[in-house]
Amino acid sequence: MPRPFTTFATQLAIGFALLASLAPSTHAGPRQEPKAVAKQVDALLAAELFKSQTELAPACDDATFLRRVWLDLVGDIPTPEHVIAFTLDPSADKRERAVRELLADPQYGLNWARYWRDVIFYRRIEDRALIASNALEADLSGKLNKNVPWDEIAAAFVTATGDVRDNGSTAIIMAQEGRTEETTAEVSRIFLGMQIQCAQCHDHPYDRWKREQFHELAAFFPRIGVRPVRTATSRSFQVVASDRQFKFAKADDGNRPMPEHFMPDLLDPSAPGTQMQPKFFLTTAKLPYGTVDSQRREMLAKYLTRNEWFAVAMVNRLWSEMVGRGFYEPVDDVGPDRTAVAPETLEILAKGFRDADYDVKWLFETIAATEAYQRQSRPRGGAEDESPFAANVPQPLRADQLYNAILSALDVPEAEPKRPGRGGGGLGGQQRDPRTQFNQTFGFDPSEPRESISGSIPQSLAMMNSAQVAGSLRANRGVLSGLVAEIKNNDELVAELYLRTLSREPTEEELTRAKTYFREVGNRKQAVEDFAWALVNSAEFRHRR
Amino acid sequence: MAFSLQHHTHVSLRGNRVVRRRDFLKASAACGLAASALSWTDVLAARADELRDRGMACILLWMSGGPSQFETFSPKPGHANGGETKAIDTSVSGIQIAENLPHMAKVANELAIIRSMTSKEGNHQRATYLLHHGYLPMASVKHPTLGANVADQIGSAASELPSFVQIGGRLPNSGGGGLLGVDYDPLIIQSASKPPQNTTPSSEATRFARRMQLLESMQGDFAAAGGAQVVADQLKVAKRATDMIHSPRMEVFDIEREPEQVRESYGSGEFAAGCLMARRLVEQGVTFVEVHARGWDTHQDNFAAVRNLCGNVDQPSARLIADLKERGMLEKTLVIWMGEFGRTPQINPRGGRDHFPKAFNVALAGGGVRGGQVIGATNDAGTEVTDRPVLIPDLFRSVYHTLGIDADYENMSGGGRPIKIVDGGEVVEELFS
Repeated sequence: MPRPFTTFATQLAIGFALLASLAPSTHAGPRQEPKAVAKQVDALLAAELFKSQTELAPACDDATFLRRVWLDLVGDIPTPEHVIAFTLDPSADKRERAVRELLADPQYGLNWARYWRDVIFYRRIEDRALIASNALEADLSGKLNKNVPWDEIAAAFVTATGDVRDNGSTAIIMAQEGRTEETTAEVSRIFLGMQIQCAQCHDHPYDRWKREQFHELAAFFPRIGVRPVRTATSRSFQVVASDRQFKFAKADDGNRPMPEHFMPDLLDPSAPGTQMQPKFFLTTAKLPYGTVDSQRREMLAKYLTRNEWFAVAMVNRLWSEMVGRGFYEPVDDVGPDRTAVAPETLEILAKGFRDADYDVKWLFETIAATEAYQRQSRPRGGAEDESPFAANVPQPLRADQLYNAILSALDVPEAEPKRPGRGGGGLGGQQRDPRTQFNQTFGFDPSEPRESISGSIPQSLAMMNSAQVAGSLRANRGVLSGLVAEIKNNDELVAELYLRTLSREPTEEELTRAKTYFREVGNRKQAVEDFAWALVNSAEFRHRR
Repeated sequence: MAFSLQHHTHVSLRGNRVVRRRDFLKASAACGLAASALSWTDVLAARADELRDRGMACILLWMSGGPSQFETFSPKPGHANGGETKAIDTSVSGIQIAENLPHMAKVANELAIIRSMTSKEGNHQRATYLLHHGYLPMASVKHPTLGANVADQIGSAASELPSFVQIGGRLPNSGGGGLLGVDYDPLIIQSASKPPQNTTPSSEATRFARRMQLLESMQGDFAAAGGAQVVADQLKVAKRATDMIHSPRMEVFDIEREPEQVRESYGSGEFAAGCLMARRLVEQGVTFVEVHARGWDTHQDNFAAVRNLCGNVDQPSARLIADLKERGMLEKTLVIWMGEFGRTPQINPRGGRDHFPKAFNVALAGGGVRGGQVIGATNDAGTEVTDRPVLIPDLFRSVYHTLGIDADYENMSGGGRPIKIVDGGEVVEELFS
């Protein structure tokens, strides 16, 4: 294999030529107000989708809205005090204020960093990648809280190098072991919502993408690799980039830096294959052979983030998380050969997101301000699929949301992880802290269609019997003992339990049933324990309405 | 699936095979399912019941780290690469194995030893994935692991127990339900000497029943607000879980209930306890059990290390096979003894052997496999397969074939892409002739 040789001057010349070749920026207009865009979205949805006979779900009540927006934005449930204060607040703009306050809370960044952690690591090709998860959480939550624009965040993932325990942006590359083709597939899926890797082995039957185009995209990533780092005190991995044949201590197992990418020969897998030039499949952008790694990945980051689909993919994903279904489904199966349910509405949002310079909080604020978001929930299937966005959709909580909800409902402080912040679990990805263990039982891949997520027996067992949950439901200690002692009236006690778990007051019917139950059991403490247990184990607790 | 494909609760058309009609249409063409008088689910249900009735099961004895073929089933006493390891005779004349496995030698008449396994994957993580899924890892497809596919295809529908159990803790990259969904993740037992996690009811039985009734009665509001299906699904799973932990069959996880004589016959240690539990589980209708033995990555001091490791697994593995035989269960239970790859013929300066996927061994017993035979061979130095190379897809195809499962069956990935249980490969016919 010839070693690429380019002088600094040629590189410079290439660089200038490249910058000139970039498509003009997609940011066309001035930044718009979230409320104004939300109005346009609702008007367009009505025009595009709703017919006279479409039954729109009414706006949800304040308590439902508050629990929903808390779970969506900060991944936790509001306290009884929050619920009461919010429902009693007479001001007209209280919902938008609540949204803004939550977006300013540090829990917002952490909640969404954990969401992206799951997006990235559920597709890991090896479990050791999990040692990068703490760094990812720490870095990304910081960026999201600072409201670093989405294109900058994406560029950092695409161009990352360094120790995976120090630089959280290495997560995507680490999750794919630095393998050229796998990393390419994930970058396309996560940031463009396109699964071009299906063209990896054969031309995709439902898509225009050709095998060459996938491998031309992969040609942006041949010069990276992941290698173990061992010091006296710790073991880690680092993402390395090299513009030479890299010297690895061990034999090549497919993830070391190579000067160029080769498309394998399908008929003869042992043949070297065809050398591929870096080309971006959505435009005519390309780079010459021999381009150094830093330039390859920086340019790719620019091509990605200046492409119209970059905004579309993000809008589609966040809308789907908030409203319960995407314009395109699954959320990461987007593209010119797919059909969006309300294409004009999607474009209005995407344009707003571009005009706001990829301001992620702007996007949350805009979606949360729509009527589509604020409607009552109806399940998917049946009527909802006939008329998308006529209602919100109940969503099963992600593991972190559920864990937070349990801690909040039962007033249990979160155990400090043994090594806060940096680092990660063992090399097998086994972290022993309670949250991680909980996530192993309750976690799911957030890119999967939510209706395909079903409960499991171990989850049921953990909710019903685990020391963590069951242990906090004793009336002789912890939160229940305080409530039993303080609140003498059973109706008030039951109302408090409802507020703590479901963030709402019980209905008349529910109160009546509770009365009967307390009478039948005869032992107040036992009845309270049973009630708290049943509420925490209810479907409503494990969902957001 | 609307019907219970296995006893794990299935809810509506889930498990990621066909989530929406549009996917179904895309998929049904791929599956070659014509719109016949029988609905799609009927076809599947009919097929599934037929398979389930056969009562086949599988136990995977997993040697994590890559067991040395030279010190187990493929000794080379006549060559420097064989090191100090001697060969011993077995119950089958003409077949010799390493001296570290005297108990396995006695049951050699039940063993089919493949000495010509060959693959290219010498990285622990990827090879562990490969030898559990039959595929290399891909970011875009979540392959179900072997145990999950077996549980899905032939798991028992009537059992309160899970169909797929792993004993010895979570093993990185050994996989789970993948695109089949969490219902097919293994129930993980940390240690065969402790009950599985969270299976001790949090309150005594009558109170637990009272709580379950309360839970059922109080969910009307959420159900009325559109969560009826969700509530029903969750209650279904909760009932399953409750039935399981209150079932007398939970005793199956308690090996203390075995007569002392039986416990002693398996030998001592975690792996022995795991093998005994595996037999108890299969006896009670569990379809797939995996038992982990760790520590086979013998880069240094290979000979003493493997002697020690074999000391932990030899007697339990052999006893498991003999015990299944005595109970009339071996014919319907396939036992697989393997790790992710073999070890180098060259002994390194630290007296160890390094990773070697090019030529290694796997032993199979039961499930209709013809015992008392060796398949394939390597040269004297153990560096090359000289006869009958067996590739990973060949092995997987053979395993599914033994269990009566169609290896060409296509699971649907999320994007409506059909994924065969095994891609390519051919059944190793010698196993059955």
